[in-house]
Amino acid sequence: MESLPIKDTRRVLIVSSHPLFGQGMRRLLEGRGDVDVHVVGMVSDVEQAVAALKTATPDLVVVDYDDERVNRDEFLAHFVEGAGQLRVVLLSLKEGGSEAIVYDRRNMAAAQIDDWLKEWTYSERVVYQVVGEKNQRRANMKHFISAALLVGILTVVSVFALDRAQLLPVAASAQAGPIDQLFGLHFRIIAFLFALIVGLMLYSILVFRRKSGDDTDAEHIEGNTTLEVFWTIIPLGAVIYVAYLGATILGDITRPDPRALEVKVIASQWSWRFEYPEWGLISSELVLPANKQALLKMISTDVIHSFWVPEFRVKQDILPGGDNMMRELRVTPNLEGEYKVRCAEMCGTLHANMEAPVIVVSQTDFETWVEEQSQVVPEDPIDRGQFWAQQYGCLACHSIDGTPLIGPTWQGVYMHEVLLDNGTTVIADEAYLYESIVNPGAQIVSGFANLMPAAIAEGMTDEQIAEVIEFIKSLE
Amino acid sequence: MNNQARSSFISIAIVRGLLFQVMGTALGIGLVMVIRLLVGLPAWSAEPVWVGGALAGVIAFIYGSGVLDDWLKVINGEDVSQHPEDHHPGGWKRYLSISFDHKVIGIQYGVTSIIIFFTAGLFALIFRTELATPSLSFLSAENFNSLMSLHGIVMIYGILLGVGAMMNYLVPLLIGASDMAFPRLNAFAYWLNVPAGVLLLSSLFFGGFNTGWTGYPPLSVQAPLGVQMFFLGVYTFGLSSILGALNVIVTTIRLRAPGMGYFRMPIFVWAALATSIISLTATQLIGLSFQLVMFERLFGMNLFNAFRGGDPVLFQHLFWFYSHPAVYVFILTGLGVISELLPVYTRKPLFGYRWVALSSLAIALVGFAVWAHHMFTSGMASYLRVPFMYSTLLVAVPTGVKFFSWVGTMWKGKLTLPTPMLFVLGAMSIFLLGGLSGPINATVATNLHLHDTYFIVGHFHATMFGGYVFPFVAAIYYWFPKATGRMYNERLGKLHFWIMLPAFYIQSLGQMQVGLLGMRRRIAEYDPALGIQNAQLWITIAGYLIGFAMIIFIVNLIYSARRGEVAESNPWRSRSPEWLLPSPIPVHNYGGPIEVVGEPYDYGLAGSRFVDLGGERQAPPAAPQVSAAAAD
Repeated sequence: MESLPIKDTRRVLIVSSHPLFGQGMRRLLEGRGDVDVHVVGMVSDVEQAVAALKTATPDLVVVDYDDERVNRDEFLAHFVEGAGQLRVVLLSLKEGGSEAIVYDRRNMAAAQIDDWLKEWTYSERVVYQVVGEKNQRRANMKHFISAALLVGILTVVSVFALDRAQLLPVAASAQAGPIDQLFGLHFRIIAFLFALIVGLMLYSILVFRRKSGDDTDAEHIEGNTTLEVFWTIIPLGAVIYVAYLGATILGDITRPDPRALEVKVIASQWSWRFEYPEWGLISSELVLPANKQALLKMISTDVIHSFWVPEFRVKQDILPGGDNMMRELRVTPNLEGEYKVRCAEMCGTLHANMEAPVIVVSQTDFETWVEEQSQVVPEDPIDRGQFWAQQYGCLACHSIDGTPLIGPTWQGVYMHEVLLDNGTTVIADEAYLYESIVNPGAQIVSGFANLMPAAIAEGMTDEQIAEVIEFIKSLE
Repeated sequence: MNNQARSSFISIAIVRGLLFQVMGTALGIGLVMVIRLLVGLPAWSAEPVWVGGALAGVIAFIYGSGVLDDWLKVINGEDVSQHPEDHHPGGWKRYLSISFDHKVIGIQYGVTSIIIFFTAGLFALIFRTELATPSLSFLSAENFNSLMSLHGIVMIYGILLGVGAMMNYLVPLLIGASDMAFPRLNAFAYWLNVPAGVLLLSSLFFGGFNTGWTGYPPLSVQAPLGVQMFFLGVYTFGLSSILGALNVIVTTIRLRAPGMGYFRMPIFVWAALATSIISLTATQLIGLSFQLVMFERLFGMNLFNAFRGGDPVLFQHLFWFYSHPAVYVFILTGLGVISELLPVYTRKPLFGYRWVALSSLAIALVGFAVWAHHMFTSGMASYLRVPFMYSTLLVAVPTGVKFFSWVGTMWKGKLTLPTPMLFVLGAMSIFLLGGLSGPINATVATNLHLHDTYFIVGHFHATMFGGYVFPFVAAIYYWFPKATGRMYNERLGKLHFWIMLPAFYIQSLGQMQVGLLGMRRRIAEYDPALGIQNAQLWITIAGYLIGFAMIIFIVNLIYSARRGEVAESNPWRSRSPEWLLPSPIPVHNYGGPIEVVGEPYDYGLAGSRFVDLGGERQAPPAAPQVSAAAAD
């Protein structure tokens, strides 16, 4: 710190009832050759000190911290009222004189008082102002209130924006009710916490900036244990509450209804099949009556798939295997309309396209549909073959018009020569076609991958398989 | 070895290593074919032959690079020097060769990480361009699936490299050590990554793989040969992770300077320690889970084949037991960078230092108990979902402690906003977004809608960018002057930030929005009826902007390293010991023990010092804190 010429004599008031303290201090201060310090008074109690503040107008008041006769709190209360440029040093000689308290909110070692005095007496650039405890508290309060206001405004704005935005698709199931409420609660919590942290950050960035030319550090605040405990316990309570809510709602949305409508869902790469055991129906569309719980019993023929209709809000992975791998999903559609189920677990090449219509109709319309479906199976074996080929997902990979898809086209395949991937050729007779259906991996056509699910025909009867073969034979 | 041989092109570790990898692969192929013949199988079968070849190639790379030389000497009973010499002591060749200096290894990790990042980013831009329109335009579904899967795993690989870069470069410097505890192990752990990367990227030439980085069977049992290269690559860089972590832990416990108790370590070291505890203990599980799928493919086992008594859900448990704690590996060091830099740019102590230090350990610990939140829809026992929901929500508590401590550090500080600080603040807000989108996933009832959608994609991109990418960039800008002796260009730095931050918000919020509305993950095309084309276009544009901003970053680094303004020794006036050293930092750092005489973050405590280097290298005492102009 560069030396600046001394402008004024520094006037010091000493407050202590102990004569030795006062004399010693005076000698120390007035003995300094480098500054012009003038002790303007030595008083021994608070009243005299307050009076001296007015009459002697000191620049610095040195108060004996250990002096029981000087009630320093009382003195400070008076001192704080004042507005003059004044500093107070509370000096304690206890504890080996290791600590002095300077009334501008700093702690320093006694040995550092010297440096501080030097800096104080010489510096003209630093503006000293009386910062009373009250003033300090007032300033802190101002920051808290302004920041809280900013956080409040940000919270209100974001909650408002989130409420107005249509973030979720239309709700079409009874399960969606409590789930969407939970979504709403989460969105509000997110909005508030985001506004809280970002608001405080923005306030700090705008207000607590280093002023140009100021090379000094900020206040030495190491922490606050009360705050730490507070902001650990409150979030802990909040997350436990949210978890409890979540568990309750999970219970609500999975509650079984003994009168549920059972539908078997068979997922394959890359198609869906729905069976209604009550009526022995098979469908490639999921038709459900409104306001009745549907119990979906789901199994895969090959890899893991997942059943998801966004409007229903619930999802369940579908596992491959036997009956022990069957998984259930209960959903109660309550809004008539046409939706789509789309596979929600990566399942290979055509995962993106693995979808099927989901149609929610009234109970009467559903009964009509059931009746129609029972008549929908054709009479003619070849037509029935085509019907099964559609239902069991064959046509997802085999075309009937000559286009090679994931699998070879069926057009013209019967009794023709087929080149296999091991270089041999076979004639595609009925035996070949039968084996291709029930044991797909045995012989792979050259140029195609071994992707046909091994169990895809597991649910088919021999009659159905024969009819599919008839259909294939019919395609020239 | 004479000097001429030393300086030849072939002697450069990466060149020799790659040559050996090619030869080793061929040898391995031959070996497998011979073994097959001997057991009566036809010699050629693509899968076992290539897997054997790839494995042999990795081993050959490691041997050929020369990183095993000292250990082989020890096995042979020869003497090796106490302080191993770098194979190329100077010039650019140093960074492509075996070095035992943690700073060089740190930069090797860092540069590799950046190259890998741009590669994975390129993959993303390709398939994001495809996703800007609803139906397939220029990619086939298979290629899309491969690019998407590779993007995931290559990014993860890049992040682990970047985390390794930060830990290796910084930990010895921050604790006053001259290097890591095990320099040869350090070099070995780094060099494992190069053949690992070759394997990962080679999967593209083996038909790619379509499973996503999670590699679930039975799909991964069915997938093309590329999936084996993916498995082997992950196995290899997983080993690197484990060994690097071991090194960090031992270094932290044993090599701290005199006077540096655990609670006087710079906070980044706590983050590195917590990260390494996870890496050391959990990585084995992903190796195991992938290995089991490899065996199912190679040896016809049925561990995950439910038609033969296996269980595909078992894989998911084994996989996620690592892969969840892994995400804390990704972010803890980044959060440590935030805690480390905030005090410097606010001139205030880190608020609640002990709480912040312990919060890293708490996150690591609780992070081991939450893995099945990735499996709420998997078909595991339904009741299991509830305890995992509770444990997952619990992680929010120590994370919250960090956020509140950061705000407490900023409050009443004296902030400056150079580029590193901008990235720290950006990191905080983005990580906040990512973290806040966590509880909604953790709650099972809402998870049923969100799982496997773009909402999850938005969640983890936000946490990754906020917890890793932004802090990694901040760390590079911050330590650049000390590492290179030159200053980066501040205007380009600010440009980088002001493009990347809004672009990232658009990307992340867009992803969350389309996910809520029904966009699934890992799909090459989507239904126009969802009405999300606009948002998808914005997400793609944002991705390009992020890439563009990162290019500005790289240009800045490369240019400034050579032509930047010579930097002063401690431009940020940090109290941390490495800033007392010359720039660039000399070999062996401090050249002798240093003494810790105070707390690391006592900004504002007049006259306090953190370290004393002894002799003339005194740290200047803290600038006196004067409430100039008081509290307005």
